[in-house]
Amino acid sequence: MAKPEPSIVKRSLFSWIFAAGNLKLQLLLLLVISVMVFANVLPLEMQRRVVNEAIKLRDIDKLFLYCGIFLAAVVFSSVLKYLTNVFQTLITQRTTAHMRKDLYRHILTLPLNFFRKTQPGTVVNALTTELTLPGNFVGMAVASPVSNVLKLLGFAGYLFWLNPLLAAVSLSIYPIVMFLIPLLQKGANKANKKRVDTARTFAARIAESISGIHEIHGNGSYRIEGRKYNKLVDRLLKIRIVWSLYRFAVKTTNGFFTSLGPFLVFILGGYLTIKGRLELGALVAFLSAQERLFDPWKELIEFYQVYQDGQVNYQRTMEYFDIEAEHEIEPRDRDALELEGSVEVKDLSFVTDTGIHLLDGINMSLKPGEHMALVGFSGSGKSTLALCIGQLYKYTGGSVMIGDKEVSGLTKKDMVSNIGFVAQSPFIFDGTIEENILYSCRAKTGDNGQAEANQEMPTLDDTIAVLHQTGIFVDVLRFGLNAILTPDKHAELVEAIVRIRKNFQQDYGADLADYVEFFDENKYLYHSSVAENLTFGAPNKSEFANQNLAKSEYFLNFLSKADLTRPLLSLGINLCRQTVDILGNLPPDAVFFEQSPINADELEEFKILEEHLRKKRLHELNAEDRHKLLELALRFTPGTHKMAALPEILEMLILEGRALLRQKIAEDDPGAFTFYQMSEYIYSQTILNNIFFGKTKTSNPKAQEIINQSIIQLLIEEDFLEAIIEIGMHYQVGTKGDKLSGGQQQKLAIARIFLKAPRILIMDEATSALDNKSQTRIQNLLETRWKKKSTVISVVHRLDTIKNYDKVAVMKAGKILEMGTYDELMARKGMLYELVGKK
Amino acid sequence: MSLSEKNKSTPSSEFQENLEILRQIYFFSGLPLETLKIFAYLCTRENFKQGEHIFRQNEDDGQAFYIVEGKARLEREDNGDTTVMRDCESGEFLGGLTLLGETGRLFSLKSVADTTCLVLNREKFAKTMAQFPDLMMKICKAVAQSIDTWEKRFLTDQGDQCGKCMGRLGVTLI
Repeated sequence: MAKPEPSIVKRSLFSWIFAAGNLKLQLLLLLVISVMVFANVLPLEMQRRVVNEAIKLRDIDKLFLYCGIFLAAVVFSSVLKYLTNVFQTLITQRTTAHMRKDLYRHILTLPLNFFRKTQPGTVVNALTTELTLPGNFVGMAVASPVSNVLKLLGFAGYLFWLNPLLAAVSLSIYPIVMFLIPLLQKGANKANKKRVDTARTFAARIAESISGIHEIHGNGSYRIEGRKYNKLVDRLLKIRIVWSLYRFAVKTTNGFFTSLGPFLVFILGGYLTIKGRLELGALVAFLSAQERLFDPWKELIEFYQVYQDGQVNYQRTMEYFDIEAEHEIEPRDRDALELEGSVEVKDLSFVTDTGIHLLDGINMSLKPGEHMALVGFSGSGKSTLALCIGQLYKYTGGSVMIGDKEVSGLTKKDMVSNIGFVAQSPFIFDGTIEENILYSCRAKTGDNGQAEANQEMPTLDDTIAVLHQTGIFVDVLRFGLNAILTPDKHAELVEAIVRIRKNFQQDYGADLADYVEFFDENKYLYHSSVAENLTFGAPNKSEFANQNLAKSEYFLNFLSKADLTRPLLSLGINLCRQTVDILGNLPPDAVFFEQSPINADELEEFKILEEHLRKKRLHELNAEDRHKLLELALRFTPGTHKMAALPEILEMLILEGRALLRQKIAEDDPGAFTFYQMSEYIYSQTILNNIFFGKTKTSNPKAQEIINQSIIQLLIEEDFLEAIIEIGMHYQVGTKGDKLSGGQQQKLAIARIFLKAPRILIMDEATSALDNKSQTRIQNLLETRWKKKSTVISVVHRLDTIKNYDKVAVMKAGKILEMGTYDELMARKGMLYELVGKK
Repeated sequence: MSLSEKNKSTPSSEFQENLEILRQIYFFSGLPLETLKIFAYLCTRENFKQGEHIFRQNEDDGQAFYIVEGKARLEREDNGDTTVMRDCESGEFLGGLTLLGETGRLFSLKSVADTTCLVLNREKFAKTMAQFPDLMMKICKAVAQSIDTWEKRFLTDQGDQCGKCMGRLGVTLI
């Protein structure tokens, strides 16, 4: 294996300049720059020759020649300038990307402890903004100093070549500038630091006043708060003035001294020319060369600033994350170890930085395949013990042996190959159910980014078996049933579903009538949207798709003909006001938006619309606002969106509208909708709604279960279950799995570890969010399928599940107080007896 | 479906009705209107037919109930014997503690007439309270005071009949 790279946090900023990949580009850049400098000086010489040789001697040929060379040099140097920019950008962006990747990889391996003290915002900021300037510096590090110094030298050399005396005099100003500017810059930096600090206090003060606004109103303390604020503004004002003065002083000094140059040249050069000791052409060339000194000079000063800021940012960021990972990630010279399933803990202790003994003198041992329950109050150290055995915490004393290996000496890869860990509040990642279920297996087999191409990955049958074992099968089935099919992909399925629909109505229709609202042409559907109630069909044209309906000219005409425009707009206004009022300040969590007609990502625009509604009347609103309100009203589903009621008159108008629309469509555009009918699949509806030919009325778990039972029965009869499960596996779980309930998340987390089937299983209150039934199911599974095969250490919060464990350890204040079988401990009438009594 | 019957010319929404109910429940009494509105929006109405269980002993359903309409009976089963505790009428709120932490039910609640309940579950409660961490203290206060009131009343009303079980009293000392 290659020599490991030094950790990014130990690297200096300079090491990136010629880092792998950059070296070639930097060399190429150097080459381009040196040619470019030459191409920059050439026009000056041509300028001199045009005046001295061509114009003075009236030589047209030479005029054309020199002007030609001049033009060529200018074009050439522009091309080269562009090339240097390209190279510089490449270096900058590649370096920044490289830094980001390395730093992120490093951050992910940092101990859990670190993240308790660090805000996610800090990490995001470090990875995005903070690394931009250092990246820029690396891009400029060779190009800017070399090209500008070369240019300076080139122009200066040329000046000396033209006239050494004049050159020496006009360059004499630069040392003075080089002395003065850093002095002034220091002053500016000092003021700038003060400004940053004050601005921070300033922001905090405003935030405080705004969050305490009711107190200010209550006390009428406008002036007191105003004075406090004014004082800060005044302080900031003074600091900003000082800061600005310094900055302008830098600029002015620089400007003043560089403009002194031409003055010196005029006075001395003019004198020399008049006296005939300098040619006029040389003077012209001299003047323009001197003028050109200014640009590289300015760029050098800018580079100096980027260097200063970039260095500070880089160092500050790297220092912040300069913490060693507690364990190596992968073994360097061997494969991952296959460990035996025994666990031996001796005199284990875990002491925090502040000296608190979370674990103290723990001794225990488990043979391969033995199961142990850890019980005790919260804070007794049971989770800490589990985390130490699982290497998620680095214990501070004693030893933990798995097989015959000390845990602290193993790499992460050894651990994940042998151990499965289900956390107390498991984390589910954005993606499909399938991706989340395969997550642990992928990580174990060393996923290289190419999905599926791995023989060690579990089969669909394995996965379905685990879905059953963990009880998430029904949930996945539900996701499948809630999927919407497209005509191009699922033709066979669709036919089968229409067939099932008929059987369903015969066999289960009556039983489920309480829970399902069947589609009925003559009734208002309270669990369907206003749009669905109006069209009572699935659109076949994109013009009439739900999201476009409120924009469709045809549909808008229909609405006004059916007297629906105004009542719908006022329904929209009501919905907008109420929803913004209730949900306006809530985060985009699915729990909050399930019952809302406004989606989480639309909330901001509707907040603005709600502002408009306060200031304007309905007829004053612009077309876009009206369109949004109409769209909102068309989504309104009385059975779900409880913040508004459906006025009776509107309900009647909509029912009449339904008949009117059907008639109108039949006349104007017969193919535009497929109206709901028993013999047709409805592509705008979910599979479940298609089977029902209706919609469920309630999300109540008990009703869901009754429905589920009937549907599963039906699907088994029709040999259709697996197809639906496969569709369900592609359900997107949302950010952090927020479209799943707490119980579903936990089941999924257990499922992904069960699928990996580790030799040692550590469960940290892994079933706490599950209902009794699911909990019992998983407990039974552990006892029947996992006993004697895998070692289990389970932190338990409910004592009714521990009877059949091989060992029960009762913990208190970081110590194991008693350990034995359940019956032994109960007979002893000690801690466990007391705990069981209390629960 | 009774919705259309309720829709008079100026119908009040279910949300508004829920809000009125929540404002009268002691458990939520420390909460500002802003938070109550969210609960009023999040809670759902469930119908239970006569004889149906609303919750069952030993199960942790994680829900709090307010009886809007109907009647339900609290029961406890011990070694196969069912003891009727009392009947709960409309206007009663049960299960606030369930929202705070996982506990199995010690009793069953069974509807004895067709019953409509307003239901709030633990997940919705927890996610909402997470938005207002300062308010959790108000809930704790209401719970502490309810427990205190309960035990005080018990001691005043039944303390003298308690006999042996006197030794086990003192829930306010937890």
